[in-house]
Amino acid sequence: MALSPSTHPVQIHKLPQFAYIDALRWMPHLSTFTRHILLATYDSDSSTPSLQTLTFCPSRAAPSLTPQASVTAPSRITSLKISPSPLTPSKPIAAASAFSGSLLFYSADLVNGTLNLEFSVPEKGFHLGPVSGIDLNENGSECVSVGEDGRVNLVSISAKTGFRRVFDSNGLVSYSSVRWASPVEFVTGAFGFGLHWWDQRKAGGPVALFKDNWTGGTASGIVHAIDIHPSRKHTCLAGGSSGTLFAWDIRLPKQPIILSGVGVGDAPANSLVESDIWEVQYDNYTHSSKIINSSSSRILPAMICSEDGILGVIEQGEEPIELLAEPCAINSFDIDRQNPSDVICSLEWESIAILTRP
Amino acid sequence: MPGVTSDSGELNSLSVVPHTLDTQKPRVYPLRLHRVTRPLARLSISWARGNTLRVSLLQTDDAASEQTPGGEVVEVKLGSADAGEIPEAQWRRIAYGSVAPFALLQSRKNSMDALHYEKDWWEHVMEYSKEINSLLGNTKSSVPPTIEDPKTVLKKVEEPTSLKAAWELMEMFYADKQSQTWIPERLLDWLADFDCLFSGTQPTVHAKLVSFQNKLVTIQAVENHPEYWEIMSSALAVGWLDVVVKLLRLHGSYLFDQLGSREIENGLVEAVALLISEMPRLRPDMPTEKIGECYSTKPEFMKAWEKWRAKITKLDCSAFWLQCDHQQTRVGLKNMLQVMLGNASVLSNVTYHWIELYISHFLYVRPFTVGLESMYSLAQKCMHLKPISYRHKLMGLIIGILEENTEVVLAECSRSFGPWMTTHAIELMAAGSTQAETLLHEEQSKIGGICIEELHRLTYAQILSSHALTWNIAPIYLTSCLKQGLGLLENLLYKQPVQHHLVLLKSMEICRLNGLDYVSYNMMKIAGVHYWKHGKKGSAVFWLQQARDEVRLNRIAKHLFDFVGKSVSDESFKQWEGMIELLGTESKTAGGLEFLKKYRDFRRSLQQVQEGITTDAARKAAEALISLMRNPSTPQQFWLPLLYDSLKLLNWQEGPLLNVSQTNLLLNKLQELSLARLLPGFVDAGLPPEALQSVRLALATNLGRAILEE
Repeated sequence: MALSPSTHPVQIHKLPQFAYIDALRWMPHLSTFTRHILLATYDSDSSTPSLQTLTFCPSRAAPSLTPQASVTAPSRITSLKISPSPLTPSKPIAAASAFSGSLLFYSADLVNGTLNLEFSVPEKGFHLGPVSGIDLNENGSECVSVGEDGRVNLVSISAKTGFRRVFDSNGLVSYSSVRWASPVEFVTGAFGFGLHWWDQRKAGGPVALFKDNWTGGTASGIVHAIDIHPSRKHTCLAGGSSGTLFAWDIRLPKQPIILSGVGVGDAPANSLVESDIWEVQYDNYTHSSKIINSSSSRILPAMICSEDGILGVIEQGEEPIELLAEPCAINSFDIDRQNPSDVICSLEWESIAILTRP
Repeated sequence: MPGVTSDSGELNSLSVVPHTLDTQKPRVYPLRLHRVTRPLARLSISWARGNTLRVSLLQTDDAASEQTPGGEVVEVKLGSADAGEIPEAQWRRIAYGSVAPFALLQSRKNSMDALHYEKDWWEHVMEYSKEINSLLGNTKSSVPPTIEDPKTVLKKVEEPTSLKAAWELMEMFYADKQSQTWIPERLLDWLADFDCLFSGTQPTVHAKLVSFQNKLVTIQAVENHPEYWEIMSSALAVGWLDVVVKLLRLHGSYLFDQLGSREIENGLVEAVALLISEMPRLRPDMPTEKIGECYSTKPEFMKAWEKWRAKITKLDCSAFWLQCDHQQTRVGLKNMLQVMLGNASVLSNVTYHWIELYISHFLYVRPFTVGLESMYSLAQKCMHLKPISYRHKLMGLIIGILEENTEVVLAECSRSFGPWMTTHAIELMAAGSTQAETLLHEEQSKIGGICIEELHRLTYAQILSSHALTWNIAPIYLTSCLKQGLGLLENLLYKQPVQHHLVLLKSMEICRLNGLDYVSYNMMKIAGVHYWKHGKKGSAVFWLQQARDEVRLNRIAKHLFDFVGKSVSDESFKQWEGMIELLGTESKTAGGLEFLKKYRDFRRSLQQVQEGITTDAARKAAEALISLMRNPSTPQQFWLPLLYDSLKLLNWQEGPLLNVSQTNLLLNKLQELSLARLLPGFVDAGLPPEALQSVRLALATNLGRAILEE
């Protein structure tokens, strides 16, 4: 039961930025009327990567973004995560991983409009080459990072120094993304549609490996993004190459549920996207009434954005809903956690789109 | 070598100086360094994408510590800082925006049959043109201020660009078939929007008007100022009627306290204002703020025109002029009437450059001009009356269009507005006339058999390719080039840096969309080898597997096996699990790496045996051993360790696990191994020296037991 777009139009506003957007996130709300966005941009004219906070002024006719604070980053940002600071709500923590291989932690003061580097994990010995994915845990105390070099590192934010090596595959496995599942468990995504489940209490490697034999041996790909719903910590949702979106229940390790994809296993025929899915997030906004009725085995609706310019919502057993179709790639998006009707996404052609759902 | 300076002082003063012959002063480009510190051991410079230089700086050994990296690579963009009329970011925005309309037009062109082509094609071209035009700047529909100041006669609009002006000219003359009958009126509108562009280099009506408007605030009685009358005649001559009427209403005689004493004067002013607002215009419609009366057909217009002219003549001969006391008003209004009557010398006096004069001639001297030929002869006459002191790039374009010279128009577009303009405007020109279309689409032997249209598209694609953010839209233009496009697209894709994961994925997406599977496979191979060289074995295997490159997989397998722990007790084997998962199922290409999987399975069963489980498990392990030893892909250096690890199997208490032929196979392998020992390049497994002896003994014992069993 897709909402017909003619009766409930989604408001879409595109705001050109004149810089490439590497990543973007909503900041936690300070008040009902003031909202902020964190952008990781790359200005190609001056070859400057930077991080900036912007104030978002919602308006039906023309919402606007006003720059608030900006700092130069040492190199381009590969991944960006935000966590509210439990003690000072007006100063959320932002973790940014850099292409050069360092990990940076900023505290954004939304009241006074500043962005300060709290500390950084230096490149040497941390990762070899770019950090491909990071994730902050729920209370913002720990950050896990993975890289193509096959290293998995943990950084404690309160300690403000160094890192702890969880695993080093010496390049035998290349990790592309990571997501916390619980305070001690996390999932990493890898090349070859690999998913590894890690438990900090059990050292020496992943505790579960997801088997890549469901694609029927025809296609393989890379997991670009993972999401885990806080209420269903055993189910891991992963999106990657060839428009593939699948859910892996750790309790049933041999049967992934394929929600979308081209040429993989028993994927539904009407795939919304055909190329790489860059980001996946559970969409709390779509059909919130139905979730209560559905059984716990059903996969919750998820939003995806793709290389072929689609921002859409995919739900198990339903027609996918297309929210935005662009002639260029949609590189990332973020659903506002406190107000899930609002979505921001970054377009490849140096602009941001803001969607407000009815 | 071009002067490389590294003068003493601050680190930030480190810079590259390009060596040019034509400029006297060398330009200095500061390097933005973030990570390296002095002293530097080496510095090397190479070309990067487009007009950027890649500068690599290497730190001296003692300066590189644990905390600082050993070097840094920065890119320096060469070229002038003043980017011209349109900044680079704006150009990119135009480039992004024009992709979709261009692609749509191409696909329509391909799907359209010849029958409908002639009839409806221009409508598609117009749609395309409107979309492109909207990228070039704001349309004039700005929100009007709620309280209108009577003293602002000119609305403040965003400064237009000459690119937009050029595009609108092309659209008007080539694409818009609907407005062919009223081109003079369209030119008038065009000049009203873009006259300000000429202000920089020569006096214009617009510039005069702006300066007068600024003075207006301080002037008490406008009608006493000669400039007031001058500017009104000028504005009237170029057809800005709304401005003129607005200015006329500022005349002092409209003031309440003066109305009584200056009744006749006021009547004359109002009569002129009324005549102006009644002026017939040969056009279907007009924006609301503009004035005049529209006539869409020529006979109607002619009739109205005659009537209107008669009214002016009548007013000109009126007796009221004698009763008008205010001399300036009398002279000024009379002058305006002369403008409307088409007095050539007056028109020449009140206009500033030839285009303004040209417009005034259309309006008041030859309102029935049609056809490019007569328009061109009129233009020549105007240029003769007002010689060009400074040839603005737009003037060159207009002249080219009017003389119907496609080559000149193309050259002007390319010289003044660059490859973007040429590539996109060619679509308009091709729609404009058959003659132009033939010229654009004719294969030219002197440029390698491609047509002019393709040449310009290729040039534009080259420009796009030279920037890291726009290279991925170049394929859209390249694929529209029939002859050279695909070859250049391959080149472009192969030139992309594979070490950037996202660039690689983007290239592969472009291959997928254009059906270039072989390019995609080649790139995956390149990426595989790159990652292999950089120690990212997992990614390397993944990409080579995706490329189905068995040869390279086999080759890297040999190297990989050197790192695999060869003993069952070796704990480090655990980290290979991830790699084995990557290899996937049987049906996938794994080359020699297939061995890893079998080896893992064998180790698993052997471990169970060592934990002391049943004969069944041992039998399975023995089977795995035989299949491993039989498989030609099992590397030689593993043979002895495999056998040595399975000593327990060979000496199985409850009876021999291997039959005679199986034991013979193993013995043969052992024999082969002892021969190989003598060859150069043999890799020693690093086992205890008695290993070979004990394996041989165990095999012999097993053979004996097996023979007895059978």
